[in-house]
Amino acid sequence: MKIDVLPVLFQKLARINWGIFCLVLLISAIGWGVLISAGGGDIHLWAFKQIIRFGVGVLIMFALALTDLRWWLHFSYIFYGLSLLLLWGVEFSGLIGMGAQRWLDLYIIQVQPSELMKIALVMALARYFHSQPFPIPFYKLFVPFFLIMAPVIPVLRQPDLGTAMILVMVGGTLLFLAGVSLWLFAVALIGASAISPILWSFLHEYQKKRILTFFDPSQDSLSAGYHITQSKIALGSGGLWGKGYMQGTQASLNFLPAKQTDFIFTLLCEEWGFMGGAFLLSLYLFLMVMCFRIILTSQNTFGRFVAAGMTMTFFLYVFINIAMVMGLLPVVGVPLPLVSYGGTAMLTLLMGMGFLLNVSLHRTLKIPRLSIGMF
Amino acid sequence: MVEKGDTQFLRRALFLGVLQLVLIAILLGRMYYLQIFEGSYYHLLAEGNRIATRPLLPLRGQMYDRNGILLAQNETSFRLVLLTDKKDEIEETLETLSSLIMLSPEEKEEILKTTQKKRGLDSLIIKDNLSWHEVSAIELHAADLPGISVEVGSMRKYPENFRGAHLMGYVAAPSEKEQEGDPMLAIPGLKVGKVGLEKFFEARLRGIPGHSAFEVNARRKIVRELDQVASVPGGDIQLTLDARLQGYAQEVLSAYESASAVVIDIRNGDVLALVSHPSFDPNLFPQGISRKDWHELRDNPYVPLTNKAISGLFPPGSTIKLFVALAALQSGVIDKTSTVYCPGYIYVGDHKFHCWRKEGHGTVNVSRALSESCDVFFYEVAKKVGIERLAALFQDVGIGEGGGLEGFPHCKKGLVPTKKWKKEKKNAKWTVSDTIQTCIGQGYMLTTPLELAVAIARLVGRKRLTPRLEGQDTPFFPNMEYDAKHLDLILEVMNATSNTPAGTAFRWRIPIEGKEMGGKTGTSQVRRITMQQRQAGQTKTTHLPWKYREHGLFLGYAPVHAPRYAVVVIVEHAGGASLAVQAARDILLKAQLFETENAL
Repeated sequence: MKIDVLPVLFQKLARINWGIFCLVLLISAIGWGVLISAGGGDIHLWAFKQIIRFGVGVLIMFALALTDLRWWLHFSYIFYGLSLLLLWGVEFSGLIGMGAQRWLDLYIIQVQPSELMKIALVMALARYFHSQPFPIPFYKLFVPFFLIMAPVIPVLRQPDLGTAMILVMVGGTLLFLAGVSLWLFAVALIGASAISPILWSFLHEYQKKRILTFFDPSQDSLSAGYHITQSKIALGSGGLWGKGYMQGTQASLNFLPAKQTDFIFTLLCEEWGFMGGAFLLSLYLFLMVMCFRIILTSQNTFGRFVAAGMTMTFFLYVFINIAMVMGLLPVVGVPLPLVSYGGTAMLTLLMGMGFLLNVSLHRTLKIPRLSIGMF
Repeated sequence: MVEKGDTQFLRRALFLGVLQLVLIAILLGRMYYLQIFEGSYYHLLAEGNRIATRPLLPLRGQMYDRNGILLAQNETSFRLVLLTDKKDEIEETLETLSSLIMLSPEEKEEILKTTQKKRGLDSLIIKDNLSWHEVSAIELHAADLPGISVEVGSMRKYPENFRGAHLMGYVAAPSEKEQEGDPMLAIPGLKVGKVGLEKFFEARLRGIPGHSAFEVNARRKIVRELDQVASVPGGDIQLTLDARLQGYAQEVLSAYESASAVVIDIRNGDVLALVSHPSFDPNLFPQGISRKDWHELRDNPYVPLTNKAISGLFPPGSTIKLFVALAALQSGVIDKTSTVYCPGYIYVGDHKFHCWRKEGHGTVNVSRALSESCDVFFYEVAKKVGIERLAALFQDVGIGEGGGLEGFPHCKKGLVPTKKWKKEKKNAKWTVSDTIQTCIGQGYMLTTPLELAVAIARLVGRKRLTPRLEGQDTPFFPNMEYDAKHLDLILEVMNATSNTPAGTAFRWRIPIEGKEMGGKTGTSQVRRITMQQRQAGQTKTTHLPWKYREHGLFLGYAPVHAPRYAVVVIVEHAGGASLAVQAARDILLKAQLFETENAL
């Protein structure tokens, strides 16, 4: 048995979905180019570090891709449980960073449990739906509801509106795919809007301000609204072909806030214009199409739900970030996948991609439905 | 694996896919809207963010006197410029600034108010004329002062100070009303001529502003200069003025409460000096005069801000007799031998008109009547000449014309009353009494010192001269159409006035051969002498309160053998003409001394 391991791995490696990897690499490479521009031509400021991180992330991605999917099925609840423990852990021992308690210092690296949770929630839900009949009966929805809300509450308390949004929406998507009645979604939506005033009172002052200024950025053009106004100016001024690489005045003269992180899409659009933005957007779209192919071709329920969850997570990052910099959504601090500077989100997203590749590799694998009571 | 839920899962997954497609399409649409549809709008905003333009002030033209002495110059100055419109930043900056330079709370408030009032403001001058100490303090703390920079500019300076301040005028920041008509005036730091020559020559002195465009970053710090259009400096102007004579005349007049003087070159109309006393320091104005200084000047009873040489209206008094005599001679009413008996008064109807000499002059001809200023002679003659012919001659020599400095600010016109004028303005018929009062320069008649200077210059020079403030060529003036022998006679009398012992100005003659002056004295009443005062022997007004005393006037010229300088001095409320004669004598002598000095 032990002698078989390596040839099996190489065999798997050869069958990996290289198309997805190429797209991931291409999008990341565009990101490096933009980061060089954001650094004023200095590769060492941001781009270099980002490339190293990408290298590490890609190794993890491949490692995850080559593991046995069933292994994850077995350990999904434990993974979820550990992540939840860490998440609640930061409530008590978390470090203050960026005005929010999002980081847990593990002495070697800083881990964001909320990022791990994005993966773990998908896993746990996938496992649950894997073990349930199709469509899922109403009385069996309490477990997924609990699975979703258990991490959302500490994330909201941190406060990390973006992550909470993603967790809820990804969870909702998986519930939708599990065949939950559309009526229930309607009821949930109405219920959510009914309790939104209560939720509002739980929000931090700066979050309220962000949401308020989203509706009228010009009201407060010097602080909170300033960012979104300047972002729209930068983006709009790019025109059809843009101002040219490293020629973005809004970015280089520091009118554009967080140009290397949350607002990097704006920088890209300022310098490369509508054509550049549309090109990146079509790459994302293409990636999504390939992800959907995996969802649709997977022949095991767990794999389908994992792939769908990861795809949805990735998509939500893209959509929320771009909609936010264009003034369609409030500024919630969601980076642009693979392009924004920063390691945490990239790690999450590459891990997600790893699982997608994994599902793709094991698409013909038949995993019998589990039928152990509730789970 | 083919279950009934399978198709449902596929359907829902497909739906999700389509939803994502739609959402991406929305993003694309939004991008299209922002970048293509609204692209040019945002492009403008981005450029507005990036580019700050700063006007470049033109260097104002300088003014020199006829000998090249600087009268209005530009001195290098440093000014503090603010290049930001972020309110909180401005407040913070001002706070830091006030620890470095003198900045009163009112000034701070004013700056804040201005920045709020003007939207899209590019630069604002916080303080002008910084000292070296302040400049170095600001440069040292430049890092803590976003949007602040020190600019090199120029400050208007009048080295002659109060000497001739009225003629020079001054520059100051344009008022809001002035700015309305001319957008160029909105440029911060631009000064415009407010009065005097500075205003008169404004268009030539100002020059054309340029501008420079800078790229600035989000902190409004200049990154680099993008473009510069240089300003065009204003033109320099060489005046006909003689700064030394002007200064001397100013000092001569400063012995009195309130006085004015004009010196004109008879040969070409050059205005050599034009002085009004008391004066002021024009250097107070370019940087913005303080409230206290302004009130002091405004409330001074001797009106130091008024240029009395051009806008002071005075009855000409006896000096007008020169022109009455000329009119009488020209009209043939008298000749040089005609005589009138002066008993000291005449009656016109019931009204008794007195001669200044109570006991009368006896039988006088025109020469004696002029040199001794016999009123009765002129009463009789004027009755015969009539107001129309008198007025025509007064106007011919320039009285009521304004002095010929077309467009000079605050230049007033005298008043030559006529029948028509009285009908229109007073709605009354002209009477013989009016003629009699006019012929001794009283009544309705008013004139400015400049007008009188033109009149005497025309009389002595025999040419229809107009005064000028610049120019070096010899202008052509047509001859006055008066009989030469009549003019000879009048000039002879003026010569006699100061150079024969019986003349009214003999005591203050110029006793240097070749430099003698001629002229005519005059006093003009501010208030009629009442009958009681006359009976009590009070025909002099020196004992009256200052503002009721009569003005002293002197119209003179020198040298008598080859007239070059025409002078008019009016000492207000002097109580007699002697002070005016003395001042005129000093000025005429000095003018000739400067001339010989220059010739050496």
